[in-house]
Amino acid sequence: MSETPTRKEFDDLAAGHALGALSASDAARLAALRLAHPEWEHVVAEDVETAARIADTARPVEPPIGVRSALLSAIAESPQDPPGDEEAATHTAHARAADPPARAERSPSRRWFGLAAVIALLAVLSVAGIWGVTTLTRPASVVALEEITAAPDSAHAKVALPGGGSAEAFWSGDLGRAVLVTEELPPLGDGEVYELWYVRGDTPVSAGTFDAATGTTALTGEFSTGDVIAVTVEADGGSPTGSPTTDPLFAIETS
Amino acid sequence: MLGGMVIDGMDVAENSDEPPIDAIAGLLVRTANGSQAAFAELYDALAARVFGLIVRVLVDRAQSEEVLQEVFLEIWQSAARFAPNMGQGRSWVFTIAHRRAVDRVRASQASSTRDARAGRRDLDVPYDPVAEQVELSVAGREVVAALNALPEAQRESLTLAYFGGYTQTEIAALVGAPLGTVKTRMRDGLSRLRMELGVTS
Repeated sequence: MSETPTRKEFDDLAAGHALGALSASDAARLAALRLAHPEWEHVVAEDVETAARIADTARPVEPPIGVRSALLSAIAESPQDPPGDEEAATHTAHARAADPPARAERSPSRRWFGLAAVIALLAVLSVAGIWGVTTLTRPASVVALEEITAAPDSAHAKVALPGGGSAEAFWSGDLGRAVLVTEELPPLGDGEVYELWYVRGDTPVSAGTFDAATGTTALTGEFSTGDVIAVTVEADGGSPTGSPTTDPLFAIETS
Repeated sequence: MLGGMVIDGMDVAENSDEPPIDAIAGLLVRTANGSQAAFAELYDALAARVFGLIVRVLVDRAQSEEVLQEVFLEIWQSAARFAPNMGQGRSWVFTIAHRRAVDRVRASQASSTRDARAGRRDLDVPYDPVAEQVELSVAGREVVAALNALPEAQRESLTLAYFGGYTQTEIAALVGAPLGTVKTRMRDGLSRLRMELGVTS
């Protein structure tokens, strides 16, 4: 049985991922392909299971005596993910950056649209972080994501939101396109949408709207390297003025 | 009589036709529901193997101790993310431990010092002396045999990645092969290993 190039590429990436050996760009490429092809997810699961067996060949070593009691003290004060999160684990991608995530470690705080508002960027996660997306809400956008991550100059960066959600942007200057993958954005009220923006210098340009707090969305219009990708909450149909009317939920710098 | 025995974290069912019960999975589910007693049992069952894995990757004992604590803290915090139908409990635990060990070894050790470390350290599992193999579990000896069935180039790519924490690009440089060849060796090696072990997920 012959394999299509994408399936072969996926199979190679899955093995590298299970062994923890992917470069940052390959990890991002795999993440995009997993979104696009949930029917191949079992390949990743099987490879992870197989690789975990290699751990059995390491000789056991008794840990230092104090670790057990230190842990039992620590967990008494540590919160836990609530039960019912198993579905998130189904599509969890443990990607890893091969290079120090220099871009992601910058924490920008700058004037926004000339206003006094400070961008609400808290922790900027590493370039290839942990995420879980269980449904495809925009298949066409996922195709765009595949194309972007296949471009030689593709890059990505992820931010964590104060409320616990996250947003990861993927872009390619050569293709002039960008895609945003979000997880659990703050929920919208009635009559509201999320609006995407390319911010060039201080000028925000609308890049479309979407209403899913968790999903994948292609930005409309042309992306230029250096654009800041941002999302605000606006009235249905997008901001009537053509400019943001609220402070951004987050902003992602592209290089 | 095998009924009621716990072997390598799996309870052997009284009726040998039944699949083994995953004891670690049960402890993870109880841990996810807040049982500190279950967490303590989990630690007692797996800490030596987890620590052995971390030490194999990191070598440095002080850093290994830190990573061991981080791993079990993550297990406590994220036990709800383990889905019993998605694989064995032990695999989930070892996957977390391996990821954190590799992240730490990459963060704390430059490539050049890691090369020197690799030279001193025995990365190639099948060449472990028989005496060391006796310390391995039944499952461990099975994996050693399976790895030994692989062509050397495939086995080398797996162990350089898994225990060395090297990326595919670094492995290509280390062994002097094209990146595409290394990717193929990893893919074929992992597939062959799965076949040898009869792994199902």
